[in-house]
Amino acid sequence: MNANELYESWRGLEAQVICRHEFKKTGLTCSAVFTPSQVVTAVRKIYEAGYFLEDISVMQVKEGFLATYHFDSTANPGRVALRALSPEGRFLSITSIYQGAEWHERESADFFGVSFIANTNPVPLLLPDDFQEAPPLLKAEKELAAMVDLKLFGENPEIIDPAWSSLVSPVKEQKEEGAA
Amino acid sequence: MSGSLFVNPFHFSTMHENPGDMLGDFYTHNFEKGRISHDSMIINLGPQHPSTHGVLRILAELHGEYVLRAEPILGYLHRMHDKMGQVKTPWQFLPNTGRVDYLHPIAWNWAYVGAVERLAGIEVPERAEYLRVIACELNRIASHVMWWGAFVLDLGGVTPILYAFEEREKINDMLQIVTGSRLTMNYMRFGGVCADINDRFIKMAREFIPRMRERLEMYHKLVTGNVILARRITGIGPFDPDLCYRYGVTGPCLRGAGVAYDTRRAEPYGVYDRFRFDIPVGETNCSMGRYMVRMREVEESLKILEQALDQLPDGPIMAPKAPKATWKLPAGEAYFAVEGARGKIGIHLAGDGGKSPYRVKLRAPGFSNLSLFAEASQGTLLADALAILGSLDLVIPEIDR
Repeated sequence: MNANELYESWRGLEAQVICRHEFKKTGLTCSAVFTPSQVVTAVRKIYEAGYFLEDISVMQVKEGFLATYHFDSTANPGRVALRALSPEGRFLSITSIYQGAEWHERESADFFGVSFIANTNPVPLLLPDDFQEAPPLLKAEKELAAMVDLKLFGENPEIIDPAWSSLVSPVKEQKEEGAA
Repeated sequence: MSGSLFVNPFHFSTMHENPGDMLGDFYTHNFEKGRISHDSMIINLGPQHPSTHGVLRILAELHGEYVLRAEPILGYLHRMHDKMGQVKTPWQFLPNTGRVDYLHPIAWNWAYVGAVERLAGIEVPERAEYLRVIACELNRIASHVMWWGAFVLDLGGVTPILYAFEEREKINDMLQIVTGSRLTMNYMRFGGVCADINDRFIKMAREFIPRMRERLEMYHKLVTGNVILARRITGIGPFDPDLCYRYGVTGPCLRGAGVAYDTRRAEPYGVYDRFRFDIPVGETNCSMGRYMVRMREVEESLKILEQALDQLPDGPIMAPKAPKATWKLPAGEAYFAVEGARGKIGIHLAGDGGKSPYRVKLRAPGFSNLSLFAEASQGTLLADALAILGSLDLVIPEIDR
């Protein structure tokens, strides 16, 4: 299954937003946003398509915590990203599918104070076990950027969940019909 | 002494007080909970044991000489590069990338400048692209040769690492000309490289290629054919592709499993699409397969080096519109991956238009490769588990970042 077929399959998986990207400019071929619970289903699909997990990169934005799961395939190279937004930083673990995600999730938990429910070994990974301070990568309120400002959704994002149209740039909304 | 400066000398000891019936520290205690057998023994390998490459710590539950389960404990060399990337400007953070992986720093340089260039749309001059390839491949050879020596040292052969250092010193002599350093190199700049190569460098590189080929033959005669080595690593630690995908294993470990996946081919960056080279894959998926993959990769790197020196064009080494120190990263997101000696190095960079990046995430190949160890070592002999560990080619500062 290549990135295009994955892209099509995301519509049936209740994606909130799906986007195509220009690889030369972003290093991604396509990406999708899911709810934190639905992303596990999408990850399962990606695993069945023969992709491997590159990393999980959490980012703190104005809207909450955005977890980005990067995957790549050895048969059909081209990075794809799945994203999940959680205002309070609670995600579901994908360790039942990709066991290698355990460390990535523990690292994100250390750095951002987010939690991955059902992680197989939820103890600190890189920071000391008695680390008392605030998670080091948390930003101050005034430093936070909105997702729109970070231009995460490519040129023509396809907004499926109407609640997301305000989170993705309103200018890009008009182009959406053309892509669909 | 004023009250605010007063430090309770017992503060730390009371915080870590061991009630006496608790074995080991927090991690041992946590590991203890998953005990499989009531008469097994839990031991620590490291964090200072030489067989674990620096400061890696592994907790292992042993039954006799068999590993029932094992868990690597990280963080002893953690420096929080992600945070430094966020509070420093790209210029200030760039030298950090050379300190992430001390055996292949130039690949990390490349991953970071590549991500910044991709996000900002900076074009790199052709000559600089070739110089990047030359430095990166030389560094890759040094890294593989060093691994070869250290791996055999892990298995009890002391002499080969001395030979490995000889080659490494020769490469360092060359890289020192252009980077000025011999360990934590910082060769690349946004939009090019910091120094051009000179005639002396070219002469040394030209002489190095046939010499390294001869030395490889000697390495094979000395070590590869050795019956003790063959018995220690053949059939030990078989990785199948599915196992690698589940843990995100890349680089020679994945190629050892028979998957011809190399970032230089899969998502060509720089001028790698102009060179003819093969992607070696393991004939067997065990530690011996991974050993042979790395040895053959040295040959492939020599091929690339030869072609790059032949094709090297004239021209500038920095882009005319290369960013200055006060330059601001544009808003947006970019991911850039390069093939390091240990696998896929990735930088996930997000900018909000401010002075420093909004988020820098470093994807270290060793991190994913080591995460597989818990599963791969299950049920093996302790000595075999160490052979598997060695065959992963670990660089701890890269794993802990």
